[in-house]
Amino acid sequence: MGILEVKNLTHTYGGSSPFINDAVSNVSFSVEQGEIIGIIGHTGSGKSTLVQHLNGLLKPTDGMVLFCDEDIWANPKDIRKIRSKVGLVFQYPEYQLFEETVFADISFGPKNMGLCGEELEKTVTEICELVGVKPEYYEKSPFDLSGGEKRRVAIAGVMAMKPQVIIFDEPTAGLDPKGREDVMKIIKDYRIATGATVIIISHSMEDMALLADKILVMNKGEIYKFGSVYDVFSDVEGLRNIGLNVPIVTKVFLQLKELGVDIKTEIFTVENAIDEFKKLKEGNKNA
Amino acid sequence: MDKIIEVKNVTYEYTEEETTHIAVKDLSLCIERGSFTVILGHNGSGKSTLAKLLNGLNKATFGDVFVDGINTKNEETEIEVKRKVGMVFQNPDNQLVASIVEEDVAFGPENLGLAPREIRVRVDEALKAVGMYEFKDSTPHRLSGGQKQRVAIAGIIAMEPECLVLDEPTAMLDPKGRAEIINTLLKLNREKGITVVLITHYMEEAEKADRVIVMNNGSIIDDGTPSEIFKNVEKLKTVGLDVPQTTELLYELSKNGFSVNTNKISVEDTALEIKRALEEF
Repeated sequence: MGILEVKNLTHTYGGSSPFINDAVSNVSFSVEQGEIIGIIGHTGSGKSTLVQHLNGLLKPTDGMVLFCDEDIWANPKDIRKIRSKVGLVFQYPEYQLFEETVFADISFGPKNMGLCGEELEKTVTEICELVGVKPEYYEKSPFDLSGGEKRRVAIAGVMAMKPQVIIFDEPTAGLDPKGREDVMKIIKDYRIATGATVIIISHSMEDMALLADKILVMNKGEIYKFGSVYDVFSDVEGLRNIGLNVPIVTKVFLQLKELGVDIKTEIFTVENAIDEFKKLKEGNKNA
Repeated sequence: MDKIIEVKNVTYEYTEEETTHIAVKDLSLCIERGSFTVILGHNGSGKSTLAKLLNGLNKATFGDVFVDGINTKNEETEIEVKRKVGMVFQNPDNQLVASIVEEDVAFGPENLGLAPREIRVRVDEALKAVGMYEFKDSTPHRLSGGQKQRVAIAGIIAMEPECLVLDEPTAMLDPKGRAEIINTLLKLNREKGITVVLITHYMEEAEKADRVIVMNNGSIIDDGTPSEIFKNVEKLKTVGLDVPQTTELLYELSKNGFSVNTNKISVEDTALEIKRALEEF
């Protein structure tokens, strides 16, 4: 029993047409409060379709989504309420900026939740501080900002609703290295400040190894695996068979093993790698 | 050396809200015919402006750009320049114009006024070169991002340019799509001798290049082979770039007292370097 539970979810596109296609089939998993979940899978594996069910943007063809033990579709008229509790940051969210000023754009979500006056201003200011949107930007047009800044404002707009679960669909796509690092930091900071549950779709195995508590691996609309970083990235062959890979640092260890070095290969971050080599060095000294 | 492109003391200025910005500052650069060059730099470093200067889409405020000896400022030879240097952009969806793949690739050669038989040959060859021939009758919107981008590249090479300039062609693609594009570019370079200038944010894509150029604030701050460039991890980090995780690993090892060279990029070379270091102690 977690904050978010998906039970036997199936989503079929194309209805009764000849192009009928299961985008997601019979998926079940549960997410605990405060966890960081990574979702990986190649393009077309159903990742985006799956997360759009988590805040009621898509209705399951079959199965259900429970938020705090309640079926989010129990009362279809209330479905909008779930959107402020489970926030979804789309791919390239900056394409959805529309207001005249940065401040107004970030205010849009909380305003729709009924916040106004000082309370609204306080909420928006807090989020701006958290994501690093400086006061001198408040009155600027979001369209005058750089790509990375626009992304930041768009993410702040979802965070301003203070969702308990926040989902990011490839949040760093198209950004430069500095931009990618900044976005990852914003996500971590929000998680620390609010204790929220975070779900991230990503193609970067390196980022997932650093950030995620658990990884959900999608393949052809089904869950291939849902487990710890260790469980998922130890399964090298399995991942390769479904068109995915392990972090680059893990590949180096696999290659070392191939070269006849007696070394463990379950190393997923540079930090782990350094520790492992230090241990080896110490071991050799003592031998 | 045989130069296909020569950039001589080029400055590029633009005006926005009455303020003049300098995107490229007194920059000089030669691109050798048949080479594979990668340009790295963070957003706003001037690399896209430079890309557009290379085929005359941008005209230098000061200085000159020569393509095969032709000044890109010269209006009469503008078409010739664009024929020699073809450009591919970030978003494949913005670059495809027709509803059938082969018609899309034919768009360029048709505009060159070629005979239908010649167009047919060029379209088929271009699609084969990017590995998309079997999709020639497909609809572009049903293709993956990497496939669409390969069709966009085919559309350019069907005009038989001598040089391809690509501005972050992999930024919107998944790892599989990215690999498809890089392999396609390497093949075009090695097998057809097409000069490639690739602008990217992904450091791994620089691994197989002949030359890597690093830009910051409108200037070139580093220029060398991939292993020369990635040796200098600190410098890259100060200009908002990072290094491949392989180089990062070697760099961290050397910081922790292991005697390893940090100028390795591929997984194989990195593993060999670590193996060598491990055998020493």
